[in-house]
Formats: sequence, structure tokens, C-alpha cells
Amino acid sequence: MIGALARMPSTLRTLGSSQVSNLIGLLIVAAALALTLQHVLQHSASLFFQILIIGIADGSIYALIALGYTMVYGIIELINFAHGDVFTLGGYFSLALFPIFGIAEGKAGFGYVIPLLIVALITMLLCGLVNITIERVAYRPLRNAPRLAPLITAIGMSSVLEGAMYLWRGPFSLHYPDLLPLTRFNIGPVNIGVKDLIVIAFAVILVVVFTLFINLSKLGKAMRATAQDRDAAQLMGIDINRTISATFFIGAALAGAGGITWGLYISSVDPFLGFITGLIAFTAAVFGGIGNIPGAALGGLLIGLIRAFSDSYFDSSWTEVLIFGILIATLVFRPTGLLGMRVPEK
Amino acid sequence: MVRARGLAVLIIATFVAFACGGTTSSGSKGEIDIASDLPTSGADASSGLPTQEGANFAVTRAGTVRGYTLKFVPFDDSVNGVHDPAHGVQNVQAMISNNLILGMVGPFNSNVAKAEIPVANAAPLAMMSPSNTNECLTVTYSYCQSADGFTAESLRPSGSNNYFRVAAPDTFQGPAMADFALKAAPAGLGITKIAVWDDEETFGQGVANNFAKEFTAKGGTVVDRKSYDPKAKSDFHDFLASAKANGAQGIYVGGTSATGACKARGQMAGLFNPDIYYLGPDGIGDAQCLTDSGSMATSNMYATQGVADATQNPTAATIVAAYKAAYPGASNIGAYTFAGYDCAAILIDAIGRAIDANGGKTPTRAQVITALGQTKNFQGLTGVITLNTAGDQTTPTLQFQQVQNGAWVFKSQFAVGGTTS
Repeated sequence: MIGALARMPSTLRTLGSSQVSNLIGLLIVAAALALTLQHVLQHSASLFFQILIIGIADGSIYALIALGYTMVYGIIELINFAHGDVFTLGGYFSLALFPIFGIAEGKAGFGYVIPLLIVALITMLLCGLVNITIERVAYRPLRNAPRLAPLITAIGMSSVLEGAMYLWRGPFSLHYPDLLPLTRFNIGPVNIGVKDLIVIAFAVILVVVFTLFINLSKLGKAMRATAQDRDAAQLMGIDINRTISATFFIGAALAGAGGITWGLYISSVDPFLGFITGLIAFTAAVFGGIGNIPGAALGGLLIGLIRAFSDSYFDSSWTEVLIFGILIATLVFRPTGLLGMRVPEK
Repeated sequence: MVRARGLAVLIIATFVAFACGGTTSSGSKGEIDIASDLPTSGADASSGLPTQEGANFAVTRAGTVRGYTLKFVPFDDSVNGVHDPAHGVQNVQAMISNNLILGMVGPFNSNVAKAEIPVANAAPLAMMSPSNTNECLTVTYSYCQSADGFTAESLRPSGSNNYFRVAAPDTFQGPAMADFALKAAPAGLGITKIAVWDDEETFGQGVANNFAKEFTAKGGTVVDRKSYDPKAKSDFHDFLASAKANGAQGIYVGGTSATGACKARGQMAGLFNPDIYYLGPDGIGDAQCLTDSGSMATSNMYATQGVADATQNPTAATIVAAYKAAYPGASNIGAYTFAGYDCAAILIDAIGRAIDANGGKTPTRAQVITALGQTKNFQGLTGVITLNTAGDQTTPTLQFQQVQNGAWVFKSQFAVGGTTS
């Protein structure tokens, strides 16, 4: 009885402090929404919907990248900083493959859909192989080392990839051919680009297919089991190394697809593109709850929307402050992210 | 191990032998070095390298000055492909510690100049920039401290000037383009609503602000004013949508190709009609900008250049032809190649006069600076150049360029005389 009484205040205190932090978080979000709403109302509805679509397009690409971060974190608790550069590599590989398949700017049309998809598949395969190699060379030997060690090799691999692209095609930004149709149409006051829709559809299909794969396939089950308890999974006959390699492969394939989509969307790639894009996608993964796959998709989408609205209604100088502010706020107030972190039980 | 050490000794000995040979073998009065500090690697190389080649050509062509052998010592201030103020300062410190260097051509970028001038000023070392255009580098305006964080005086701790340039300052580039945009059709573009962006750099922000000020003062409307961080911004669709929703007839971007100023042009396809205007300062007037623009590299793109076009100057024809024979590549000629040539040539001329003033002996660096400040009616490739005490040309020239058939071509140029001080 006395013990219960003594425990009471501490329970109340923890309850109180988490409520206060939740309240602060809610207030900040409400204030930001109110401010955005005020700016949105000053402009036309057509701009709002246009920015909404741009935000979703950006967000779905961030989601593609964020999935790779979150999967790798889920399975070996490593933030693979080279992931953003694997994404850039997707742009570079596809750019090199286009001439082989006779794809060039101005030749866009239905006849090029199949070659473009083939290029996308080869690029995803190549990115996957690069990421498997990175895991084999830089992370696997350090799997039992202190957690800081693979983190440092990850940053090192990021620089190696950036340097390789720099040496391969030079430091300049390269023009990515305009292959998607530039047609735009109106639905009421809303002006929509076919290009935006294709980008969104492509990313959404990949995310959905991938989520189904993780949830339904045997390999997906093995991945989830390995993430939960590596030793127990091994005892159950799961080949841990193969499962981890598969995780890196799939993550990189999605990032590679993201690289192509981004290139098609923004018409350029440069060696350092993946650095900041990777950081933003990583923020998205943390925002959604690192290790949580639907969380990464949701986080990516939200970060994309936030970026687009902040850039167009406010100023891009504020965008980074906002995005990385979200990263910090998530880690401080809600470390499990929006949908909850999948914490390996040990 | 022993053999390796022996090899090292041999290599060092060879270097020493060559180093000694360099100074003793020539029959001249000695050697005088002219350095350059330009961004010559990475994304910036497209503008920095042809400038360095111009300066190099001037030094090689002169060969000697008053019996001294001339040597060109180039430095690169880019890090990871982008001009870097801190690296520029290191280069200037290296120049200062080399007694043979009596002056430098450069730097290329205004934010590098801001970092380098105080260091060179304390030495003192003569600086001769082909392309710096930030107006606050030479003249203190009321807004310099608050807008750029420095004034012409604060950059010169010794109290006297060591920095000169041939390019027209931003006070001209931005407003000239604003006038051009507002003027009715054949002489100008005849537009009244424009979106203005900048890349958050000393140069980009300065030139964009000056454009906006003039555009508004002359009756135009800046319908959208935005800044972007070049490291983070690669998708400009939202900026473009915002500009379009606000009714912009064109976009003025205060930035450079290296800071991604032309990526937005490439993303305009489909969103805007191809006849939308895209205007900018000298920073977008290069080949990289056209690459980034893709199918939107149309004739509705205009850029100002802070120097005259040497190919329009009949008296420069022989030297321009000789340069083209020595450097035949298309990438060997940038907007500031012949300004780079002029900077080196003016330095050599000043060093010559300083030698005369010093009775034929090697002049001090301070004497070179004094002679440089007295440069009058110098027959350069980009015009007749007279420098004032602040460091500017008394009548700099501004050039308009337009994209035609996938290349920047000369449109018009005019003198913009009467700099204050």
C-alpha cells in the first residue's frame, strides 16, 4: 500500500511529462498548419493543388529511398549512409544505359515504354549488386564490432561512391533527357501534369509491391524474423547472411528506381545529389518510425509535402530548418516515430 | 628499406638540382612570377579554366618584362568542384610566402575575394580580378555592412587599396537587365511582371536585389521573390508553379551554373510555354547552363556579362586569333578569358613601370600596387582600361548575351561609366 502510494507520484510525473511533450508537439504542428493555411488562402486554389501534386511526387520518391534506410536499420541496426549515393548511382547507371537502348531526348513515345522499363530493371539490378558488394566489403566484417565502426565505414562508402561518380562523368550536373510526356490537363481549377502522375504511379506501385513482398513472401518472413531476433532466426534455419544481402539488394533496387524517377522528374543528376536527398529520406524514415516499412512510406510522403509547401508558400531557406527540425523533434519527443519503431527484442 | 631510402635521397637530389637550375641557368635579371587564383577544377572549371588560360597566354606571350623572366603560377581555389573561400585564403598565403610572386590574377568569385582581400592587403599583394562583380568589394555603400557583412574599408586593414578589377560591378549588372526587361519590344523584352530568385550567395543575392530594386523603381512588379540553398534544392517545380500562379512573364535568377541556377530552366518544359523569359547575370552565361536547360535552352534566355566582348574589338583581333590558335577547343574560351588576359597584361605593365620607378631593380610588392593604381588608358582586349583608386575601371563595359542555336552569342554592349569615388 505504502509502496503503491510512493510509486503513484512518479507514475503521474511520467504521465504528465509525456503529456506535456505531446501537447507541445501538437501546439507546434497546429501553429505550423494555421500559418500554412493563412498563406494558402492568400493564393489560388489551383496553386494549392499543383503544389500538393508536386509534394506527393517528391514524397513518393523520398519514400522509395526511405524504405531502404528503414529496412537496413530494421535488420542490422545500421544507418547506411551510402544509401543516398546508391540512389544517385541509379540516375548515373540509367543515363549510361539509355544510348544502348536507343533512348534519347525528343524520342519519347509509347514505343519507348518497354526499353525504358528494361533500363529501369537493369539499373535496379546494378544498384542492388553495388549495395550487396558494399555490405560484403564494408559492413559484414564489422557486424560484431561496436556500432560506431560500421557507421563510419558507411560514411566512407558514401564518399567513395560520390568520388566514383565524380571521376566517371565529371563534377558537372548532367542533363537527364525529358522522356515523360509534358502534356498537362485541367480538372476544374486543377492543372495536372501527366509527368507528375507517371512519377507518382511508378513510385506507389513499387512501394505497394514491395510491402506485399515483405508481408507475404518467404524471404520477407525471413527478413522480419532476422530483424526480430537474429540468433533465433538462425536456429530456425534461416541463412542470416543471405537474408541480410537480400535486404540490401531490395533496398538498393528501390533506391535505383528512385534515381531514375528523380532524374526523369527534375531533368538533371549530379554526383552529390544523393547526399542531401539521402539525408531528407533518412529524416522521413525516422519521422515515420525507423524500422517500420509503412512508416517510411508515410514519412516520405509527409516530408515531400512539407518540402513542397514550405518552398512555394514560404521560402526554401526555411525548408531545411523545418525538415531537420522535424528530425530533432521526432527524436526528442517521439523517438518511435509516427507509426512506432520496430525495436528488436534482445 | 635501405634501397628505398637511397631512392628517396636520389629523388630529392634531383628536385634540388632542378630547382637550382631554374634560377641560375637563365641569363635574365631574375624571375618574376605572376600567380592566379581561380576555380579550375570541378563544376566551376567551365568558367575558371578558360580564364586561367587567358592569363597564362598573356604571361607566355610577354615572356619577359624589363629583362626579367616572367613565370605564371596558377592556383586552384575549388574544393569538391566549387570555389571555396577558405581554400582561396590558403592559396593567397602560399603566394605571399613566395617572394617571386609580385601580383595575382583573381579571384573569380566575389565571396572568395571577400575572404582573400584582407589577407593580401596585410602583405600587401596586388590583386587583379577579371570577374568579381560584387559592388561592396570596392565601394562602401550604406547597405554593404548589413547585406554582405563587410565594407570596402573593413576588407582593407592596412588602410590602402591593393585590389583592382576589370568587370563591371553588380550595381550595373542587375539594373541593366531590369531596364532591358522593361523596355518595349525591339530594344528590350517589354515585360512588367517577373519572379526573382537568388542562390543565397554574396554574388547571387546582391545582383538579384539590385535587379529587383531597379525593376520596381521603373514601374515593374516583382511578383515572387525566393531564395534557394543550392546544396539542397534540386527540384524547382514548386518554385515554378508559384511563379506561374503569380503571373510571372519571366524569371530573373541571381546565381551561377555551379549553384544550379539553370536546373530550373530545364524543369520548365511543359509547365511554361517555351517563350517564357529566363534572365540572369554573368553566372549563367556559360555552357553548363545550356546543358542544364536541355530542350528549354531557347532564344528567350538572356545574360549580362561584366566585361566587353573582345571579339567585337577590332584592335584585339590579332591577339584573339593567336589565342584561338594556341587554345583551339570550344571550352577554351569563356566569358572571362580575355578579361583574364587583360588582368595579367595590366599586372605585367604595372610591374614594368614599377621596375622603372625603382631604377631598374626588382620592385617591392607595394611599388607594384602603386603602379597598378596608376594604370591609365591601357589598351586591353576588352577595351581601354583606366583604374581608379577604389579599384574599379572608370568606365566598365556591360555586355548582353542571348542564347541562339544552343550557344550564348553577343547581343549588345555599352559603357556604364561614372562609378562613384
